[in-house]
Amino acid sequence: MSMEDYDYLFKIVLIGNAGVGKTCLVRRFTQGLFPPGQGATIGVDFMIKTVEIKGEKVKLQIWDTAGQERFRSITQSYYRSANALILTYDITCEESFRCLPEWLREIEQYANNKVVTVLVGNKIDLAEKREVTRPKAEEFAEAQNMHYLETSAKESDNVEKLFLDLAVELIREAKQNTLLNNVASPVPGEGKSINYLNCCSFN
Amino acid sequence: MAESSSAPAPRPSGGLARSSAVTMDAIEAITELEELERTYQRLCDEERETESQLEALVSQQSNIESKMQALQRMGPNLQLIEGDASQLSGMISFTCSLAENVSSKVRQLGISQSRLLSFPTSPFFFLYPLSLSLCAGSAVDASLSLLKEAEQRLKTLVRERLDQAIKAGDLAQVERFFKIFPLLGLHEQGLARFAQYLCSQLASKAEENLLLAVGGELSERRAALVFADTLTLLLEGIARVIETHQPIVETYYGPGRLYMLIKHLQGECDRQAEKVVDKFIQQRDYHRKFQIVQNSMMRTAATERIEPRDLDPVLLEVTMMNARAELYLRFLRRRVTADFEVGDGTAPESTVQEHQQSLEKLLKHCLLSRNMQELIGYYIPMEEYYMRETVNKAVAMDTYEKGQLTSSMVDDCFYIVKKCIGRALSSSSIDCLCAMINHSTSVLESDFREVLYNKLRQGFPATTLQDIQRGVSSAVSLMQSSLQQGKFNTMGIESSEEAKTSFLVTLNNVEVCSENIMTLKLNLENDCAKLFNQGFGGGEQARAKIESCLSDLVSVSSKFKDLLQEGLTELNNTAIKPQVKPWVSSFLSISHNIEEEDFNEYEANDPWVQQFVVNLEQLMAEFKAGLSPVIYDILTSLMTSLIALELEKIVFKCTFSRLGGLQFDKELRSLVAYLTTVTTWTIRDKFARLTQMATILNLERVTEILDYWGPNSGPLTWRLTPAEVRQVLALRIDFRSEDIKRLRL
Repeated sequence: MSMEDYDYLFKIVLIGNAGVGKTCLVRRFTQGLFPPGQGATIGVDFMIKTVEIKGEKVKLQIWDTAGQERFRSITQSYYRSANALILTYDITCEESFRCLPEWLREIEQYANNKVVTVLVGNKIDLAEKREVTRPKAEEFAEAQNMHYLETSAKESDNVEKLFLDLAVELIREAKQNTLLNNVASPVPGEGKSINYLNCCSFN
Repeated sequence: MAESSSAPAPRPSGGLARSSAVTMDAIEAITELEELERTYQRLCDEERETESQLEALVSQQSNIESKMQALQRMGPNLQLIEGDASQLSGMISFTCSLAENVSSKVRQLGISQSRLLSFPTSPFFFLYPLSLSLCAGSAVDASLSLLKEAEQRLKTLVRERLDQAIKAGDLAQVERFFKIFPLLGLHEQGLARFAQYLCSQLASKAEENLLLAVGGELSERRAALVFADTLTLLLEGIARVIETHQPIVETYYGPGRLYMLIKHLQGECDRQAEKVVDKFIQQRDYHRKFQIVQNSMMRTAATERIEPRDLDPVLLEVTMMNARAELYLRFLRRRVTADFEVGDGTAPESTVQEHQQSLEKLLKHCLLSRNMQELIGYYIPMEEYYMRETVNKAVAMDTYEKGQLTSSMVDDCFYIVKKCIGRALSSSSIDCLCAMINHSTSVLESDFREVLYNKLRQGFPATTLQDIQRGVSSAVSLMQSSLQQGKFNTMGIESSEEAKTSFLVTLNNVEVCSENIMTLKLNLENDCAKLFNQGFGGGEQARAKIESCLSDLVSVSSKFKDLLQEGLTELNNTAIKPQVKPWVSSFLSISHNIEEEDFNEYEANDPWVQQFVVNLEQLMAEFKAGLSPVIYDILTSLMTSLIALELEKIVFKCTFSRLGGLQFDKELRSLVAYLTTVTTWTIRDKFARLTQMATILNLERVTEILDYWGPNSGPLTWRLTPAEVRQVLALRIDFRSEDIKRLRL
């Protein structure tokens, strides 16, 4: 892989029913715009945004997936390599909230078990049309051990926060993992003799 | 001037010639000289003033004359204008009469429909707007309404005739009336009706083809792809229709209208394609197959299983269908884009974008696309199932032939992965390809790597007593891993010889995997480049997606490399270290505190190094034969590092005489010379410390070290610390410790 100028690379995949605003969230964050009359996403798209967090360059590869059923098998193939999943629903659409358990089953089945999942209720700019109350969503997220955030891609509410908090969380986990790996390296046989490998450098 | 100013009649004041303020009476009435003089003076002033006014007037004369001349020159122009005006009046009355004339012709037209066919070439269509703007008379009004009425009648007539021609399927007539529509400003209606005609033609052909596909007797090879073929016929048919009729649309409707026609045709395409897809789903049992696959993959107790091989034809057919649809949509995109480009040459940017968007919407969201997306949606899990199951089968049927470095499962597994990705690629759908690359990454990284990892975990069987215990623990771990997998490995380890071979073959397998992945990635890159060059995919975004998915695949290659290193470490620890250590330790039992006599004896009968080399040779022969050159090289490198480290430890436990030091130097040289021949790695570096120790042990006196130390070291870089140098010097029994202590290093 190339020697690019970043300290971390994370893959974030947005999932959720069709029309909940996944593409708008991604576009708002990566391009700073809200494209009205956005057509349904076909398959998957991805965008890159590099952010700096505490002096470290973090490259976020954000995969925007189609919510429609017929693209499900395409989007599922991206779960496994995802560091984080943003499960999105539309607060003005009860149906998109009701489908969340189904999405969680998909995550369970296809994502790796270390994946960080955030629940996002989008479209809070349409407060008067709200169908899912905040406490209800919070309770659900808590029960599923997920972070919960409400956003508006249109008004740019909490969008930066969503991705930046996620980046912070992912860095924290990445640091913890390297620490764990350095303490105990699971090598078959006599684990300690890995030192030999270090002193004579192949490659 | 004096007269005028002395004129008795008072003049109205103002104007150029004002009367003098002094009247004759007043002058005559003057009696005083003084007053007379004053009056005279005043009159003189008035005269001067009047004179200057006169001069000014005279100077204006030429100006006025030239103005007069100009006026006279305008005379003929006025005459011309008069002529023009009368001509204009003539024209207006002519136009009026022409309009009347036209109206009467229109009236005739109403009566004689049979003469209709001469109309398209007549220019009268274009005259009525002119009469509308010029004539305002009541007669003209009447004509105008007649004209409009006639226009309506004509439009109705043309519509009717076109509909009749469509009904009759008379292409010549259809085209004839189709050409009239744009002249009447009815572009959209004309295109819609024409498309309707073309659609009816397409529909009947498509139905015929589908009937043949479902009912006809076909050869087995054709039958397997019959729905892909039928779809191909349909799409090619539409493409041909577009190709054939694009010129007539362009000529009579102008550029930028092709989109309209294609939009109508796409409706029929969607209807017909859906019929083909429905029949495909029904006859191939597509949904049921998917359901069975889905159930088996969910690891629920699947009652019904499907043989991967049985999926081959349907997977091929689906990818072919999608490829045909992509090809067709690409054709539409190219044609419409080119037509818009001509039509929108001077249009504002917003119109251009609007046109582009409507084209994208048509292509991406048409029913054909949606149907294909759905088929591909089912295809991917089935292809994934095919890949996993077949890879598992290849693992289960793994065989190893003597003399080969790798076993069959590596080649088989990569053959399968390549086949599946290749099939996904042949669909021309980038998302489909990416999904299968992702699944391949997963199968290789999880499933297949796991198999090799478990084989390596069984360990390399040891032969010494203490290692039999290790062997037992290996067997236990093997049992555990087999149980975890839910099956016993029937290949099992029947003898330690077989276990050894299995371990070495697995190492080779791991290495080949890591290389195969790189090859796979390179080949895919080339294939994708070809696809993009043909215009598939949709540009940068698609490229970036594939690149990202491929980089995930490549990262699996380095995971196999890591696994190889772990395996080699294991081999070094279990098979080499336990043997090499005692061989090195035996150096201790050979005294290096020797005299001339012993030295000569050693010369004649080598006490240690020759046997050591023979032992190493025997030990490594097995690995040299069983491992690929690359892996063997890494292993020997591990071994030389081990020897250097162990020998150093041992030497520090020995004592040396002067001749003993010389003996060690000889032994070390032989060893290094031998090891240099067995590895391509440079080993001089690994033996640098030992070589320096030999140098020290060979010194005549303690202080001689200073000839090599510090500023005198020359090209030599000391790997030993001053403390270690003293430590080595102390190994010489003939060196006094005071002398060593006194050294300034």
